[in-house]
Amino acid sequence: MNIWVQQIIQVIISGIVTASAYAIMGIGLSVIYGISRVFNFAYGSFFTWGAYFAWILFATFSWMNYPLVFLIVVPAMFFLGMGTEKVVVRSLRWRKNWQVTTMMVTLGLAFLMDNLALVIFGGFAKPLPPLFHGAINPFGFTLSVQDLAMLIIAVTVMIAFGLFLSKTRIGRCMQAISQDMTGAEIVGIPIKKVFSYTFGLSTALVGTGGILLAPRYFITPHGGWAPFFRVFVIVAFGGLGSIRGTLYAAFILAIFESFVSWSLGATWVMPFWFLVFLGVLAFRPSGLMGTWG
Amino acid sequence: MKIEIRQELIIFLAMYLVLLILPLFLYKDAYVIGILITCMVWGAMASVWNFTMGYAGIFTFGQFGFFVVAAYTSGMVTKYLGISPWLGILIGGLMAAVVGVLIGLPCMKLKGAYIALITFALHLVVAPMIKVADPLGTGGSTGLMSIPKLSLGAYTFSRTDLIPWYYTALVISFLVLLVVYKTIFSSVGLGFIGLRDSEDFAKTLGINEYKYKLLVFGLSAFLTGIMGGFYAHYAGIISPRLLGLDIFLLVMLMMIIGGMGIFPGAFLGGFIILFLNEFLRPLEAYRFLIFGAIVIVAIKLMPEGILGHLNIFKNRMGKRLLGRAAEVETTRGQNI
Repeated sequence: MNIWVQQIIQVIISGIVTASAYAIMGIGLSVIYGISRVFNFAYGSFFTWGAYFAWILFATFSWMNYPLVFLIVVPAMFFLGMGTEKVVVRSLRWRKNWQVTTMMVTLGLAFLMDNLALVIFGGFAKPLPPLFHGAINPFGFTLSVQDLAMLIIAVTVMIAFGLFLSKTRIGRCMQAISQDMTGAEIVGIPIKKVFSYTFGLSTALVGTGGILLAPRYFITPHGGWAPFFRVFVIVAFGGLGSIRGTLYAAFILAIFESFVSWSLGATWVMPFWFLVFLGVLAFRPSGLMGTWG
Repeated sequence: MKIEIRQELIIFLAMYLVLLILPLFLYKDAYVIGILITCMVWGAMASVWNFTMGYAGIFTFGQFGFFVVAAYTSGMVTKYLGISPWLGILIGGLMAAVVGVLIGLPCMKLKGAYIALITFALHLVVAPMIKVADPLGTGGSTGLMSIPKLSLGAYTFSRTDLIPWYYTALVISFLVLLVVYKTIFSSVGLGFIGLRDSEDFAKTLGINEYKYKLLVFGLSAFLTGIMGGFYAHYAGIISPRLLGLDIFLLVMLMMIIGGMGIFPGAFLGGFIILFLNEFLRPLEAYRFLIFGAIVIVAIKLMPEGILGHLNIFKNRMGKRLLGRAAEVETTRGQNI
């Protein structure tokens, strides 16, 4: 086969794999904005902390494995997020201009969390063991089992989340609130409780993303900002609050990103994201699909 | 013509009076003079930020982007083209204004949260841009070095004597703050405040939203750029590290502590935060942990900042002293 074609397909595969991790993180960010109208600047820090929690488990127990890590870290992230909402965000909600106040508060929280990580773990990058070893070669392409596992886990999480939103009571409460907050409150949906759950759910999603991406990259105290910015552009591109839009955007942009990084080099990746972002906001500020989808 | 004496003006002028005579006592202490210069630079920048955020109600997080763009522009035109640094500062400011208007254009159609995000994205992207533009002479990630110093006639400023720098910073920051003050209390400023408090009503009264928003973006970028240009020549070296989130946090804290939407608050906050920063320096890594916690605690417990709380005091006591002006001010000086 032509070497160019093969390389290009390899680039697309790598894009799809990263996209799946971006997608679950994007859903988390989108959900929290769509439902509780909070923009969480500490999102990247929750990403980092999810990965650090996994690292702690691996460093303390030599017999630790990934299923157990997910089982422990994901609920832990959920409760951490719920606690954060209760302590930091909730009381601001009924203030004037609370959206910007919450942005500033979560920015402060991000610094607190990042520097806490710096103090506890030091500035050195921490590795996580690979999810799986080895690679398979379907049709002459190399696909590591790790990437395949990442893709499968991410897609499972997405499907589970979709079912959760449409089938469970709390998920439907969330949808109701995202459509009409006042209406939801009138019909007796406990919005405060749902906000807390939403925050917890979104941090659990980003924590999962953190654990999935950490074996590919290293964990550093400030390492959450770059993925956060990407996820944020994805969410803006897809339309804040739209899950389907986020999914499409994640796959489109991650594949583009992997092309940019392959053809122009890694330094152009961030400018690329910014240009996409400017383009989205200039031509279609509501994103691909700016409503709940 | 009746001259209105406002609380804001009194605090503003009093602060500069203190700054004017302070070197008489401190001229031997280069360390403190150095901190005071940074206080003025960042304090003025925080004030401009407060002007856009607190008064105009536009939630920009991109001020650092403007600052760094201007610093690099001024540094590069003076270093490579041999232009006078004074002119360089002005060119830097204009360049920042152009970037500000360009960023402002897509923000026209957008509401609060989105503007915060697009401007924050600008903040995040300037550093990689500088690294990419290394072949143009930006110095890449090591930074732009040996930027020409300011000079006045035959006298060239040097790092061994900080007093001339001090007074230059004083004059420039004073002018920047004066422009901010004048704009806030002009008809333009009333327009901003009208748009901030009741956008639809202000529009029905014929306030052109686009014009005002672009003006805010351009003007605030220009003023920030002036401070950035000065900083480049003062520091002599600038690097993408200026865009680090730690400095961002410090300047945001200046605004929060000083009081958002209250005029010289952010400038006052600059002095509080930077001296606190020096005070906490021995704590090293714990310092920013503490600052992060201060942001959360300050917003939760003291949403109006220091001057905001003084304003509450003023409502009870100061009305008699300042007369009718105080009444106008309490409605204006409200937190955003």
